[in-house]
Amino acid sequence: MTRSAAPPSEPSFTVEVDQNPYLHVGAAQVDAIVTVTASGAGSAATAGGGAVEIILVDCSSSMSGSKIHAAREATVAAVRQIRDGVRFAVVAGTHDVAQVYPSSGTAVADDRTRHEAVQAARSLLASGGTAIGGWLTLARHIAEQHPGAVRHAILLTDGQNGEPPDVLSGVLAECAGAFVCDCRGVGTDWNVDELRRISSALLGGFEFIREPARLADDFAEMMSTAMGKGLADVLLRLWTPKGSRIRFVKQVDPTIADLTDRRTETGRPGSPAAQGDYPLGVWGDETRIYHVCLDVPAQAVGAEMLAARVGLRRAGTDDVLGQGLVKALWTDDPALSTRISRQVAHFTGQAELADSIQEGLAALRTGDERTATARLGRAVALAAGSGNDETAQLLGRVVDVVDAPTGTIRLRRGVDKADEMSLDTRSTRTVRVRGTD
Amino acid sequence: MIDVSPVSRPTTCPNPACAEPVDPTANFCEACGTDLAVRDGTTAAVAAAAATCANCGTTAEPGAADDGYCTGCGLRRRDPAEHVETVLDGVAGVSDRGRVRETNQDAMALGRHLAGTVAAVVCDGVSTTLTPELAATTAADTALEALLRGRSDGATRTRDAVLAAGKAVGKLGRAPHGPSCTLVSALVQPLPDAEGVDVHIGWIGDSRAYWLAPPDSPEPSRALTRDHSWATEMIAVGMDPAEATADRRAHQITRWLGPEDRPPVPELAHLRPTADGLLLLCTDGLWNYLDDPAELAAAALGPAAESGPLAAAVALTALALEAGGRDNITIVLVPVTVRSRS
Repeated sequence: MTRSAAPPSEPSFTVEVDQNPYLHVGAAQVDAIVTVTASGAGSAATAGGGAVEIILVDCSSSMSGSKIHAAREATVAAVRQIRDGVRFAVVAGTHDVAQVYPSSGTAVADDRTRHEAVQAARSLLASGGTAIGGWLTLARHIAEQHPGAVRHAILLTDGQNGEPPDVLSGVLAECAGAFVCDCRGVGTDWNVDELRRISSALLGGFEFIREPARLADDFAEMMSTAMGKGLADVLLRLWTPKGSRIRFVKQVDPTIADLTDRRTETGRPGSPAAQGDYPLGVWGDETRIYHVCLDVPAQAVGAEMLAARVGLRRAGTDDVLGQGLVKALWTDDPALSTRISRQVAHFTGQAELADSIQEGLAALRTGDERTATARLGRAVALAAGSGNDETAQLLGRVVDVVDAPTGTIRLRRGVDKADEMSLDTRSTRTVRVRGTD
Repeated sequence: MIDVSPVSRPTTCPNPACAEPVDPTANFCEACGTDLAVRDGTTAAVAAAAATCANCGTTAEPGAADDGYCTGCGLRRRDPAEHVETVLDGVAGVSDRGRVRETNQDAMALGRHLAGTVAAVVCDGVSTTLTPELAATTAADTALEALLRGRSDGATRTRDAVLAAGKAVGKLGRAPHGPSCTLVSALVQPLPDAEGVDVHIGWIGDSRAYWLAPPDSPEPSRALTRDHSWATEMIAVGMDPAEATADRRAHQITRWLGPEDRPPVPELAHLRPTADGLLLLCTDGLWNYLDDPAELAAAALGPAAESGPLAAAVALTALALEAGGRDNITIVLVPVTVRSRS
């Protein structure tokens, strides 16, 4: 007898596993693509624990002129998207940090508070330095007042962080789990690696806004998306058998994000098997795809093993909201073991594409043309082969493509810095297998 | 025709150190206390023995959702009841997972009283309930114990055994999804004058008992039970048999042992065979493919005469597997010899 499906208001996840479970005798590596789709996630306005939105705007002196004007309008546009009942705050960041609205804590969105916040945003001035760690710490203090809420921040900057690198690392470790942060870079003076590190650690998205005038639309869109997410503190729980070793756990769609080091052990003491939780942040009704790769103890031909159990749950509860099984079956039939899962091959390629772009651009910056040519050439071939057209287009602005399928390219002189940053920012964005979506 | 005599009557204690004369109706030897009932082949015992993973030694957590894999090393747990064969002094049983189901939710229990009584129980866990295999093993073991140990007459003992099984199953869970199963039992008792045997059948649900004999036998092959199923009940009230058996609901059972407050009253049948034959107890995993008594007899009697009842049970199991094996298959065969007939 099948149980009736949960009512639509209850959050649930469907988990699909794509893999070739057959391993040749002696083989031990298990790869699986795990597609997770949430339903019944609700929205920020209806979230059980409430919702908190924090807008962090870079107001350093480099922002003066058209950028601060655009930042004001973007903040206004974002504030206007915040739905009634959602708590929010606007923070101006310099070498110091000042809360713009309300004076401390959060305001509950309604017509009056939104109007007041808009007035305050219009008076933002550019002066001072950039201390992103300080901005994030203030956001954390605000967010921590509302445990269990859907907590989301937007960070806008145009410059490199003025703090020592280890300060930011420490802050990111403290902030992980406290709120999710989408990052936006404007202009060409900010550091792509730095913002990628922040957005990745705080489980958010990351974009380069070339034209300051586009900021307002982008902020409005980002806030509107955030308002559609009502399920906070989602965790991926991974059970793996005794003797196994996890190589990596990566989000591979919509963007690449390595989760391997975010693990918290949650196995029962004394249990021979391992279990760990990976935070997945805030969810709306959406699909994200993960790549799980691990080694298991090789078994005799004919043996069948549960190589991993992938469960979705919310922090603080033991209810499994969705589960998928990754299996391993040992065979001596090469016809079975050499079949490659299309999904595994595709997303392995997408991860290599991201790595190739980032390594190629890094080589370009240090003048290592040989490596840059090799890596960017590989990226061109991978982007073309997988149908990642947007990335292929951005690559075409940085290198001269001679033959895309073979990855034959020539480096180009005088590349526009913004084009290079666009490509770098975009490198982690993946596409799905053609014909699926 | 059958080379074993299942209902022989020992007159002395089987304990070689004792060997005193025994009361054939007693449960224990009056002299040394030796248990005169012998049980074997209960699927519950098989399951308990296999609770530890053979690969890594991790003990299964009772009731834990392990998806059928060891919670330690991840290797697929072998269903301990995947295929069970048992022979007990000429009584034989086979229980098989089949080709489609993930686990075997059938159970059987065979027993023999050294005083001569033979008892057998076959149960089929209802797969739409929780842990149906637990219902099946519990019912089979409980009913067997009552059949072997009871002192009342065969019909009353059969009735009491099925009711006891129903009560035991009722304690396992709550309605509506508590563990449930069917049951068919046989009690074969030698008559006091050694001039034959009394066979008492009890059942709930759609597990069946058949009498199997050669075509020319004065005690012809036939089904001894009537299913408690939708189709059978509809036919009983006048529905066209072809129409009833073709209905989607044909196989739904109308009585079962489950979490309901009062266990259902079993239906009983009695037989005092006038000629030798084979008593067959089986679940629908067999009769779904082969339900004609004469055809069952034709398939079973040859192997039984040649190699004994286990060979016959294995042969019937193979037929059901070849035909598709869509359900668990459980078959118990009790050869019945009517003595002193010429």
